[in-house]
Amino acid sequence: MNVSVNPVAKAAVAPGATGIAIDKVSHVFNRGAANEFVALDQVSLDIRPGEFHCLLGPSGCGKSTLLYLIGGFIQVQSGSISTSRGKVSAPGPDRGVVFQNFALFPWLTVRDNILYGLKKRRIARAEREDIARKFIDLVHLRGFENAYPSQLSGGMQQRAAIARTLAIDPDILLMDEPFGALDAQTRRLMQEELLGIWKTSSKIVVFVTHDVQEAVFLADRVSVMSARPGRIAHVIDAGFNRSSDPDIVRSPAFVECGENLWQLVKTQANLQSSRSAT
Amino acid sequence: MTWLRAPLRYLPVLILALVWELVVRLGLVSDQILPALSDVAAAWWRLMVEGDIPLHAKASFGRAAYGLAIAAVIGGVGGLAMVQSRTVYRLLNPILQMLYPIPKSALIPLVLIFFGIGSASKVFLIALGCTLPILLSTLNGARGVDRSVLWSAESLGASRLATLWEIRVPAAMPEILAGLRTATAFCFILLVSSELLISRDGLGYLIANFGEAGIYPEMFAVILTVAATGFCVDRLLLALSRFVLRWQAPS
Amino acid sequence: MSRPGHATLSADRLLDIAVPAALLVVWFIVGHWKLVDPFLVPPPADVFKKLWQIIADGQLPAAIGGTLYRAVAAFLLAVAICVPLGLAVARIAALRWFFDPLISVGFPMPKVAFIPIFILWLGVFDTSKIVVAAFACSFTILATTVGAASNVERAFVWSALSLGATKSAMLWEVILPAALPRILTGLQIALPIALITTIAAEMIMGGAGLGGTMMRAGRFADTPGVYAGIVASGAVGFFLVKCLEGARRHLLSWHQEQRETQ
Repeated sequence: MNVSVNPVAKAAVAPGATGIAIDKVSHVFNRGAANEFVALDQVSLDIRPGEFHCLLGPSGCGKSTLLYLIGGFIQVQSGSISTSRGKVSAPGPDRGVVFQNFALFPWLTVRDNILYGLKKRRIARAEREDIARKFIDLVHLRGFENAYPSQLSGGMQQRAAIARTLAIDPDILLMDEPFGALDAQTRRLMQEELLGIWKTSSKIVVFVTHDVQEAVFLADRVSVMSARPGRIAHVIDAGFNRSSDPDIVRSPAFVECGENLWQLVKTQANLQSSRSAT
Repeated sequence: MTWLRAPLRYLPVLILALVWELVVRLGLVSDQILPALSDVAAAWWRLMVEGDIPLHAKASFGRAAYGLAIAAVIGGVGGLAMVQSRTVYRLLNPILQMLYPIPKSALIPLVLIFFGIGSASKVFLIALGCTLPILLSTLNGARGVDRSVLWSAESLGASRLATLWEIRVPAAMPEILAGLRTATAFCFILLVSSELLISRDGLGYLIANFGEAGIYPEMFAVILTVAATGFCVDRLLLALSRFVLRWQAPS
Repeated sequence: MSRPGHATLSADRLLDIAVPAALLVVWFIVGHWKLVDPFLVPPPADVFKKLWQIIADGQLPAAIGGTLYRAVAAFLLAVAICVPLGLAVARIAALRWFFDPLISVGFPMPKVAFIPIFILWLGVFDTSKIVVAAFACSFTILATTVGAASNVERAFVWSALSLGATKSAMLWEVILPAALPRILTGLQIALPIALITTIAAEMIMGGAGLGGTMMRAGRFADTPGVYAGIVASGAVGFFLVKCLEGARRHLLSWHQEQRETQ
């Protein structure tokens, strides 16, 4: 269901070219047990090359499950997920992941964290140090390379985590509510920084969130998901992320998009509670 | 097929038992140093029927029960007293710090001198050795109660004693029960070591006796009895914990 | 749990010294006026004299050295076997299936009961004592290592996988460091077990060592010797615990807990 709510939005890439093809993916947890539940039900989605795509919905709607399936951390039970490199069956460096709790290795310094993936790709020492330095600068952590994660603030840790993922140059960036653990100001700063970094690359970003504002601010398109069973209810165009207007968040189009999305999310939430009441 | 799950889970133990039997029967290991499991089982049966094990078991577990009970009372009361009264805490804490690093088995010669080789020495040893874990876990458990919970109770009019009984003790239960499990483990260690060394009855004495006389199937039989008892008591405590703590959210 | 305030803090510290000092005074009074049978509670002077004597003639240092060597050797042996084993058991399903019940059954069994079996198999000398003590603390180390390694945050494992780590590399590079805090806690519980078992084994098997010395003192009614042995054992226990605490601080210098105020 493609509902174009916003006349300003334009698809930044040619529609129809496939970055990530999710085809009729269903996923059941605890199959056969008393607490069996359907996390995803016949979900299909085409994410375009270079797109910033948000998965939006309340807790339990399967958005994280879908993300982990794309990442190859959970095995696909039925249906298929393909990228330009073929069918997804296991984790790989073409799909980098950033988690809400940063998942920085606390026993390594920031620099060693970033170097970890580079070492795995067997990049020569001099080159790895260069790349690490570049990304440390990119996320504005110069001077903190030799700090341990426990010595950094939440925002800094998340920046380090993003640097670590970007350093191995993945085609796809999977982000699971990465700014959820940060305070509101830091979150806003990180959103802007993330957009800045993304615009200079041609990476696909799949971004899970339950925050409507965040979705409208960051995404080319937003998939509104519902729970029990997990489905994509609507795919909405946004595209405000490509605007160069510094006051974009106050533009009427932006506000309207946000309100519409919020209504859609609320409807899904109400449907969900009426379903679970039965 | 859930009824099958329990024995299936312990299959590796069965496999080990089988390997034991085969290794001796096939002559891979001399039965002088490892009696066959079947011989041990037969010896165990004999000892049960002839009353040796029940007799000495009664002596052993009687001591353990007394000692543990004393430890539980002293440790529990001591721990709660330290929580309720800052003075008591400050007086007892330095003593605890001193006693804590002493390995409990070092107390065996001491109780030998004080009480000889009768039951009293074991009871006292177990009481001494097991008080500390219970006291510390009671203290830590009761101390850790959320201040907001206590203040709510007091603002609703609860007296200090009432907050102790009705709030701190239930909240401390998980830790107290954990301390009880630790204390029981220590209890067995002290019981067995003291009976091996300074006793004229009890299961430990039986083990030492058979060992010195070279009657190994019997020695193994009693050792396994003791080991199995330790296992069963721990499982019982676990079940008790689960029952007492049934209001807790599963962690 | 002291209230803020300089006065309260030094009062606590004062009591740390005052209470033992007061006990010493009580002990002295009891001993001097023979309030209790001096056979059971010898005056402090006798005990100190005895302590001094066995330090001077080398008996105590030798005994301490022997016990320390065996306890530490046993502990290290158990660590060297059980930590890698625990990591493997946590991640390899077949090993898990086999060892889980064995650990579960063996954990609550009083390992000292098996000492006579070890005497039968390995004799009454150092090897036997070390193996028994290692056996005794193995279950604790194994159980906590398995528990720690099984509960490593999924986000760490998944991050490592997406960064290109292989499953085997991950065991050493990610699982072990992530599980290290809990593993070290298990080790801190295991070390006193190793010491208690070493001393018990020494008492039963004899030989040079604190256990053997104290047992002989007990059998020969040498009360000051027994007290001296207890003091020495306490000192050894204290020393080992402090060493392990120091090791923990060093190994976990990166961890959050080091940032928290003591």
